[in-house]
Amino acid sequence: MRKHIPAIAGTLAVLFLFAFPFAYRGADYDYLMHLWITALFYAILASSWSLLAGYAGQFSFGHMAFMALGAYATGLFSNYVYLASAPTNICSEFKLGGIYLVFLDPLGVTTAKQTCLDIAKSTWSREVILTQPSIFWGILLGIVLGGVFGFLIGRLVLRLRAAYLALFTIGFSEILRATISAEIPFTRGQAGLEVPPLFRDGITVFGSTFSATDKVPPYFVMLFLFLLCMAIMVWLERSRFGLFMRSLREDEEAAAALGVNTVRYKIMVFVITSTMAAAAGAVQAHYIGIISPNILILLQMSLVIAMAVIGGLESVVGAAVGAVIISFTLEFLRTSFVIGSVTIDMSIWRLVIFGLLLMLTLRFWRNGLIHPILLWFSRAGVKQQTMAKRTAAVADTASGDTEEPA
Amino acid sequence: MIRLEVHNICKNFGGRQVLNGVSFNVEGPERIGLIGPNGAGKTTLTNILDGVIKPTTGRVHLNGKRIDPLPPFEVAQAGFGRTFQVSRAFRRMTVLENLYVPALAMTPTAHRRDLRKRAMEVLEFLTMEHLRNEYARALSGGQLKLLELGRLLMLDPAIMVLDEPFAGVHPKLMDIILQYIYKVNDDGKAIIIISHDMDTIFSLSKRLLVLNYGDLIADGDPEVVRRDPTVIEAYLGRDDEAECPDGLDG
Repeated sequence: MRKHIPAIAGTLAVLFLFAFPFAYRGADYDYLMHLWITALFYAILASSWSLLAGYAGQFSFGHMAFMALGAYATGLFSNYVYLASAPTNICSEFKLGGIYLVFLDPLGVTTAKQTCLDIAKSTWSREVILTQPSIFWGILLGIVLGGVFGFLIGRLVLRLRAAYLALFTIGFSEILRATISAEIPFTRGQAGLEVPPLFRDGITVFGSTFSATDKVPPYFVMLFLFLLCMAIMVWLERSRFGLFMRSLREDEEAAAALGVNTVRYKIMVFVITSTMAAAAGAVQAHYIGIISPNILILLQMSLVIAMAVIGGLESVVGAAVGAVIISFTLEFLRTSFVIGSVTIDMSIWRLVIFGLLLMLTLRFWRNGLIHPILLWFSRAGVKQQTMAKRTAAVADTASGDTEEPA
Repeated sequence: MIRLEVHNICKNFGGRQVLNGVSFNVEGPERIGLIGPNGAGKTTLTNILDGVIKPTTGRVHLNGKRIDPLPPFEVAQAGFGRTFQVSRAFRRMTVLENLYVPALAMTPTAHRRDLRKRAMEVLEFLTMEHLRNEYARALSGGQLKLLELGRLLMLDPAIMVLDEPFAGVHPKLMDIILQYIYKVNDDGKAIIIISHDMDTIFSLSKRLLVLNYGDLIADGDPEVVRRDPTVIEAYLGRDDEAECPDGLDG
């Protein structure tokens, strides 16, 4: 029975996540929904990072860079790409069958600037149809781009381990951040790039209509993405892939000597996890509505690492649960309080508490706080089984030794 | 039919010549001992056979296929297996999981039930059945050696190199390792055993290779090799070297 408790708890948690938007009716509904969307976003990042670092032993600091790639790919796509039934003749454009794929000129930091499309519109007749491609294509582009860069980085870091791998991926992340910051005409730099909501015109599901700013649609998109990522990762974890990943983490040379194609699996894990990070980034960008290079500062990466470490580096479920708990705790710890005449500003102290928790976890519970609990359930009876078998083996030997010769 | 051809292997590390034109063949299920003083190049030779290190010059063929340019996983899949001098079991994986890795690498479509059955047979043979769900980190040094041998059984190579299988092993476990070697050899696999345990290696091997500072100085019947003056010199030194220089006694 004990072995089944994690599965039962997981099912109940999923049911709770599905029911929450309909069951909860508090005054802080929007706030809590926002917290859940953010928590699920971090849960995808922390669990996919735990697959990369905890499972495969690839201690990468570039995970947020893949997330940002997804976010900026869809952000730029939804800002710059249009479909027109007639040529603009002044924008960059490609003819695709009967329609034109139009790329706008760099936006710059001012929104008052007239784009090439505005100029073209003034010359068009009323029959010309101008639309923006579905946001789905932008998200897909982000996911593909994340995977492609995951492949490239995976290939480049094949021979790098430990600190060298960490430094390399920090370098990649910083280069991307600097590029986004520098390319102001395209990305608007620190001013931030506005990204349209997931459902620009709202959405109607089962007779219920939700506006573009409603929290329920992005909540369910993020929840489905989270569940999809978790399902893939848990499946991988339990498959041949997971076994090889762990052998790679334990001893790459020994794994190769036993026939494991370490190069292939190393690249695969980079591609899979960076794709997931990019998908999370793309959806989150549409939910938040504005993205800036600050999304890939090292502090953000540290937060994801800390979530995975506290939850349990060697368990994608542990890391996801850790991310949810830390997300909520950090938010609830914002509330300042007064002791006598002293006001405790929790907006700062919460980070101190978080840092202390991280230090204590690393010192005393290196497998995190959630993972050992999961192990306690999943490995129920192993010790007793070993002892019983050993006792039986010893008893067998003893009885064999004392047998009288015929 | 197993045929390993090691032809004129040389290896330099920087300016240091570690292997100097080593050549030998293994034909059929031979039981070969590979000995030599520390620094003779035994492990380097194993690493070259395994594909971890590429030779500076020379070639290695296994059953007609050239394996020296291949990456280690392809060498393993071609039928070459090895253990390591210091145990390299996957310590944060269970004993069963350790055994599944090579089996799944060799036969990706293997059914989990068949795999488990095979692994249990291996564990039973190694008297480690009761430890199947324990993490490898919980095993003793000797048990880790057995686990590595178990992994080789799951890999099922045509030829295997066992690097110091008896080092630091309790006599009871040593018996199991000896049984393992005889059984695997009887099953038609070629085995090369590297060891500093001279009594065991002489009694166990049907053929002995002796490396000394990168040179293969002897290759033949253990009793003949035992009396070979070059080997005696390599192990015991020359008579004139053993003497103390005059005047040191004061």
